[in-house]
Amino acid sequence: MRKVNFFRAVLIALSLFITFLLVMAIGAFFLVPDWTEVIENFFREEMIFSLKLSLWTGALSTVLVLLFSIPIGYALSRFDFYGKSITKSIIDLPVAFPELVLGLALLLLFGNTPVGKALQSMGINLVFTKSGVVAAQFFTALPYSIRILKSTFDYIDPRYEFISRSLGYTQFETFKNIAVPLSRNGMIAAVVITFARCIGTFGTVLILAGGSEGLTNTLPITLYLNISYGNMGMALTSGIILITVSFIAIFIFEKTEARL
Amino acid sequence: MSFLVIEDLQVDLKEFKLKGIDFSLEEGEYLTIIGPTGAGKTILLESIIGFHKLLKGKIMVNGRDITGERPERRRMGIVYQDYALLPHFTIRSNIEYGLKKKLGAGDPSIPGRIEKLASSLNISHLLERKPGTLSGGEQQRAAIARALAVEPRVLLMDEPFSALDPQTRKRTRRLLKKIISDSGTTVIHITHDMEDVWTFADKVSVLRNGEQLQFGTADEIFQRPACMYTADFVGTSLYPGVVEKRTEHSALIDVNGLKLNSADVAVLEKSSVDVAIRPENIFLSEENPGKSLEENVIHCMLADIMEEGSVCTALVSYEDIIFESLVDRATGAAFKDRIGKDIFAVIKNEHVRLIPR
Repeated sequence: MRKVNFFRAVLIALSLFITFLLVMAIGAFFLVPDWTEVIENFFREEMIFSLKLSLWTGALSTVLVLLFSIPIGYALSRFDFYGKSITKSIIDLPVAFPELVLGLALLLLFGNTPVGKALQSMGINLVFTKSGVVAAQFFTALPYSIRILKSTFDYIDPRYEFISRSLGYTQFETFKNIAVPLSRNGMIAAVVITFARCIGTFGTVLILAGGSEGLTNTLPITLYLNISYGNMGMALTSGIILITVSFIAIFIFEKTEARL
Repeated sequence: MSFLVIEDLQVDLKEFKLKGIDFSLEEGEYLTIIGPTGAGKTILLESIIGFHKLLKGKIMVNGRDITGERPERRRMGIVYQDYALLPHFTIRSNIEYGLKKKLGAGDPSIPGRIEKLASSLNISHLLERKPGTLSGGEQQRAAIARALAVEPRVLLMDEPFSALDPQTRKRTRRLLKKIISDSGTTVIHITHDMEDVWTFADKVSVLRNGEQLQFGTADEIFQRPACMYTADFVGTSLYPGVVEKRTEHSALIDVNGLKLNSADVAVLEKSSVDVAIRPENIFLSEENPGKSLEENVIHCMLADIMEEGSVCTALVSYEDIIFESLVDRATGAAFKDRIGKDIFAVIKNEHVRLIPR
C-alpha cells in the first residue's frame, strides 16, 4: 500500500484551507447584500464621485509611478553606485510601513517643512486635496512597482545590451531598444499591481488627503465612512466595486500576458 | 606599432581580477585565448570591448588610445557562447540592427548587404525567423553575421563553437575560416578546443587565474610552453635536463640519465633546461631503426595504450621517464599485444625543444 506523505498532505491542506477562507470572504460580498440596494447605491452621487475619483487618481498615480519606477528599477538592477544598498532599503521602507504611518510622514513632509512650503509656493498643495490623494497613492505603490521592475530587469541577460552597445547604440538607445521591449511583461505586471494598489490605498490617503466627502473620498474611504455611519449597504457596494475593478485589472493583465 | 595593443590591462570586479595582460596583434591576425574555466577569458574580452572599467592599462587600436572610449564607439564586434541573439527581433532585424545605426535606417544598401552576408553564411532561408526557432549552429551563424555586418575593426568571439555538435562545429569552423580570411578582420577567439587553435590561430594567449601565462605564436605555445601548466594544458610533455655539450648544430641533453640530441642550440653548456616534446612528434617502431645523427632512438618499454576518440596515446617508459606518443587507432590496436614489451621511440632532433630555465 502506498504510504501517505504527511508533509505534502499538510502543506496542500493548508493551501486549500486558506483558499477556502478567501473564497468565502470574497463570496460574502456577493451573497450577503440585497442586490437591488447595491444597484441603487451604485448610482448614488457619492458612489459615482468615489468611483470616478478612484479611477482617475489611480490612473494618474500609476502613470507617475511608472515614470519613476522604470528608471529607478533599471538603475538598481544595472548600475553599481555608492550608497546603492541603503538607497534600495529606503525605497523599500514604505512596503513595511503601516499606511497610516506613511500618511503621517507625508503629512509632516508636505505640511510646514521647507519641502511643503516650496511646493505650496509653486501652487501645489498636497495636504487635504485631490493632489494629496495622488501623492499618497504614488508613495504607497512606488516601492511595489520598483521591486517588480528591478526583478524584471535582473532577468534580462545584460549581454543583449552589451551586444547593442557593440553595434553602435548608446546606453539610452540600448535601454529604449532592448531593455524596455524585453521587460514588457514585467511592465504590464507593474501597471496592474500599481493600479490595484493605488485604488486600494486607504490609510495614506486618509491621513494626507483627509476623508472629506465630495472632495477626497476614494472608494476605500467611502467604504470606511459608511461603515462608521452604520450604512452597511453603501459600504458593501464600495467593496464590490473595488473587488470588481481588481478582477478586471487582473483579467486584462492575464489576457495581455497570454497574447505576448 | 601593432594594430591592436593591450598594455598592462588590469580589471578589478571585486570577485575577480585581471592582472596585467599584455599582447599585441597586427591587422588581420587571429588570436586564440586558451585557459581553464574561471581564468578570466570572457572578462578580458568584455574589458577590451569596454563593458568593464579598467583599473589600469591601455588599449590602442591603429595607434589611437581607446581606453576611455565608450563601447559603441570602439567598432568592435562580439559573438557570445550562447549567441545572445535579440529574442524580440527576427534574424534579419538582428543583422539589420547594427547596420541601421552605422548607415542610417533608410540606407538603400542595407537589404543587399544582409542578403550577401546571409548567403555567405548559409542563413538566407532563416532571415524572417525568430532566434528561438533556430538550431544552435544556425543561431551561431546568425550571430557571426550580425557581428560582421558592421565591419568591426576587431571581432571578439567567446567560445562560439562550444554548444555545437562535432559535425556542425567542423562545418562552421571551415565556413568561418573562409569568411574571416576574406574579410581580413582581426579576431580574438576564446576556446577550450585545441582544434580551434590549430585551425585559426596566428597567436595564442594562455590565461589562468586572471594572469597571462604565455603569449606567442601557436608554434611557440605548443612547442615551447613557458611553464608546466601551459605544457600540461596544451598537451606538451616537459622533462627537466642539463645541457651536457653544445656544438654548432646540436646540443646534447642529459634527462635523468637519458641522452637526447636537440637541434636547439641557443642554450649554454651546463645550463638547466626543460626539454619539450609533443606527443605527435614521438614515433614508435617495433624494430630498431638504427642510429642517425638527425634523430634520437630510445629503447623503451610500451607501458600502455589509451584510446582517446579518433586517436590513441601510447605510454612508453625509459627507466623513470614516461613519454606520450600519439598514434592512430589502427596502430594503437596493433600495438596492444606489445604492452610490457620492448619498443623504440624515435624523436627527431628538431622536435626536441629546449626551454632555458
